[in-house]
Amino acid sequence: MNSFVYSWQTFFMRITILKLLSRQVWSSKMSNPGTLWLIGIVNILVVFALISGFRNLNQRQKTEEHYSQEVRERWESRPDKHPHRMAHYGYVAFRQRFPLSFFDFGMDSYLGNAVFLEAHRQNTVNFSEASLSNGLLRFGEISAGMILQLLLPLLIFFWGFDLVAREREHGTLRIVLTQGVSWQELLLGKSLGLFYLALSVFVPSAVLGLTLLFFSEYITENPHLYLLYLLLIISYLVYFFVLAVLAVYVSARAKSSKSALIQLIGVWLFFTLMLPKLSQVAGQNIFPTPSKIEFDTTVEQELIKQGDSHNPNDPHFKALKDSLLAAYKVDSTHKLPFNYAGYVMREGEKLSTETYKKHEAQLVETYQKQQNVVRLTAFFNPYVAIKNLSMALSGTDYAAYNDFQHQAEDFRYQLAQTMNELQIKYISNKVKSSADKNAVISKKNWADLPDFQPQFLAVREVCQNEILSGISLVLWVLGLVFLVKYSVKNLKAF
Amino acid sequence: MTVLLIKNFLRSKSSLTGLLVLLVAGLISLNIGKYFLEKNKEIIEKTAEYQQKSIARNVAFHPKEIGLLLYYVRFGLVNEMPNLAGLSIGQRDINPSLQSVTIRNLEEQKYATDLMNPLYQMLGNMDFSFVLIYFFPLIIIAFCFNLISEEKEEGTWSLVLSQSVNPLKMLRLKVLVRYASVLVVLLLLLLVAKFYLVIPFDATFLAFILTSILYVSFWFSLAWLVASFQKNSSQNALILLFSWVLLTIVVPAGINAFTVTLYPVPEAFSTVLESRDGYHNKWDEPKEPTVAKFHQHYPQFSQYKHPEGKDYSWLWYYAMQQMGDDEAAADAQAFKEKLQKRNRFNSIAGLFFPTVHTQLSLNALSLSDMDNYLHFLEKLEDFHEQKRLYFYPKIFTEADVSGEDWAAFGLDYFKDKADVDWLRILFPVLIISGLCVVWAKVNFRKNFMVG
Repeated sequence: MNSFVYSWQTFFMRITILKLLSRQVWSSKMSNPGTLWLIGIVNILVVFALISGFRNLNQRQKTEEHYSQEVRERWESRPDKHPHRMAHYGYVAFRQRFPLSFFDFGMDSYLGNAVFLEAHRQNTVNFSEASLSNGLLRFGEISAGMILQLLLPLLIFFWGFDLVAREREHGTLRIVLTQGVSWQELLLGKSLGLFYLALSVFVPSAVLGLTLLFFSEYITENPHLYLLYLLLIISYLVYFFVLAVLAVYVSARAKSSKSALIQLIGVWLFFTLMLPKLSQVAGQNIFPTPSKIEFDTTVEQELIKQGDSHNPNDPHFKALKDSLLAAYKVDSTHKLPFNYAGYVMREGEKLSTETYKKHEAQLVETYQKQQNVVRLTAFFNPYVAIKNLSMALSGTDYAAYNDFQHQAEDFRYQLAQTMNELQIKYISNKVKSSADKNAVISKKNWADLPDFQPQFLAVREVCQNEILSGISLVLWVLGLVFLVKYSVKNLKAF
Repeated sequence: MTVLLIKNFLRSKSSLTGLLVLLVAGLISLNIGKYFLEKNKEIIEKTAEYQQKSIARNVAFHPKEIGLLLYYVRFGLVNEMPNLAGLSIGQRDINPSLQSVTIRNLEEQKYATDLMNPLYQMLGNMDFSFVLIYFFPLIIIAFCFNLISEEKEEGTWSLVLSQSVNPLKMLRLKVLVRYASVLVVLLLLLLVAKFYLVIPFDATFLAFILTSILYVSFWFSLAWLVASFQKNSSQNALILLFSWVLLTIVVPAGINAFTVTLYPVPEAFSTVLESRDGYHNKWDEPKEPTVAKFHQHYPQFSQYKHPEGKDYSWLWYYAMQQMGDDEAAADAQAFKEKLQKRNRFNSIAGLFFPTVHTQLSLNALSLSDMDNYLHFLEKLEDFHEQKRLYFYPKIFTEADVSGEDWAAFGLDYFKDKADVDWLRILFPVLIISGLCVVWAKVNFRKNFMVG
């Protein structure tokens, strides 16, 4: 009973001490006008980033909507014609931006925005923002994500480098420790103070982000965006906590405050600038990917092997023809009860799409392996963890893009096959060319093809994709807690 | 005294570490550049091989109709990459350095991208220009943030003041020692680059070297200016780091954000739609107007007519294809002009910020900038047009496929030339650095007169 009361007492005492220590960090930093200036400037920067990001997002969404509608109108207003010509007229799909992408631009600017969908071939998604920009984009973009991932950590390190080291230099550390404050309490209390300082930038931006989200026109239909946003906020909170503890820990370990500053800036440089770039180069080297021309040639060669629907003597299509003639008991394809050319094209489209998809899946797998090289560095580098998480939750990561590409390809296939079906059903075998009057079907059929309406990834998929990054952030917290708890013996009070 | 200062600097562990970091990071960056150049070379070699094979295969498949054959045959144009681009990769990892096109409508082909992992484009390359623009200043800051304050904080400053004839001279020497040592590393890296990446020593490379030296000089003059205010070490460090974040991250990103808002490019989308309709809609329209428009564009082909009453002819087909380009021409032109506007705005804004100006200049000298890509697109249009002019008469007269020496169609090369405008490249950073030094001089004079 006694020990129980005792432990409760110590627990409460600890809380009071932590509060005291953290409040002290807060008030000592805040008494410096420089700190207020910095907080003010970074806040203005985040507000600017969020509002301009939101405005750009809306503008882009409008542009994409406008052109998507135009594509649809043009599609439906095509006159009566041969369905295969419609398959070649095709569609243009525009990539929609995720409603949360204003928070973290991620790789948005490096992803293509428009793709021409037509029968027989898979075109590239073109016109990424990067392709429309000169070198400036490579310096990075001002988004709330960038400021919170890159600049705020620098501030945290700058505020935190001297928290323990300076007290030791001034001799006050020994006094604090002899007054019954444990090392653990000291480190945790100072870290919390530093964490609260980080919140002075993060809380306003999180609130503003939420407000903007509230005014987004997509929110009523997609309330799950709030959930994603909540996860985003939690991830950032964990990230800042990790950095705060790291800064205080380095400050406690360093010989002098100057050395702590140099170490922390070194860590920041290595984490944010060097390691991501080096790991991407390593990934490219370990898992090489083909260039476009190589990829196309491989697909083409495999297609040739499978059979050429244009070649009447091709074994694959000859076998198809013979089996059809036998099944319908006719001696010529002209006598078949359906359009033979359409039938062959449907078969050809199926084969070529399967082949393309197989190779595309391999390519995507290699990309993912390359990305995993970078992703795995999250276990050494919390910056990569938060970057990946933030991109995924803001819908600006590769998974979201890949999902769009698949939907566009599925739509392309559906379009081509719908037109082939129409041809099989309505076009006579006797027409000589697609210009023939009998080779034309009513334009009413065009409207029957549903519009291209890409869907965004579900919350569950988003979380599954970045589970590794989430785990690595949690491991960072556990690892640092472990360090604070058990390695304090090596710390010096003077 | 000079010898003593040099010894002092080189004996310190931290300064040697700093120089070593620069050297190692620089060498890694050279290796990355080398890899990039080699990969590009490999792509070109492979493409040359594929093109030969693919033409031969298509000729075998379609030996009778040259019009049908040319529907398939692709001709490649290479945007030659100078080895200098290994030092400043710029936009070369985003815009393809090779484009293969058929003689069909160009608008549907010319913007095709290469296959690239977007994560890599986002993270970017650690090329030499990156090390120069981001890493060098940091080491310079580390070397210079406590020039005077260090002596003051260690109590040696009063000693200097009482003993030295001219304390300013001693400070100047201190900076010069650091400046010289950083320059040695920079020049050493460029020397290694010259041999490792086989860069010809010409005016372009010289401009590249001078731009790099000037950039380093700018950071030293900024550090010198900050030192002249005689604040304490941590204030100096804060001011310099703040400038670094501002100049390497915030300002460039700000200019970029401004450019995007100021010049949106909806023309990119409208060009696609116009070109698609320009070609495909002609299938449903009477043939005569299409052919007439084609004759209007190419009066020299007026003698070739679409055979009356026929459903199809290659003349009509290629005339339709031509309309895809012709009807999108206005939008394509507007698109190009918009990109040029963006480019111009950036380079003018960049004049005031050494980081931006240096990056853009290095990219321009290495032919890895937007201008080079726009030149390449123009050349591609020209290349495509020449192929059309060559093959159109053959198609319309149904020339024999066998009459052509198909093996002779290898890759073509476009060799752009960097425009070395010395004044424009060097002047802006020179002026800004000069202003820093002059301002510092005023500060020092004021302070030392009082002190």
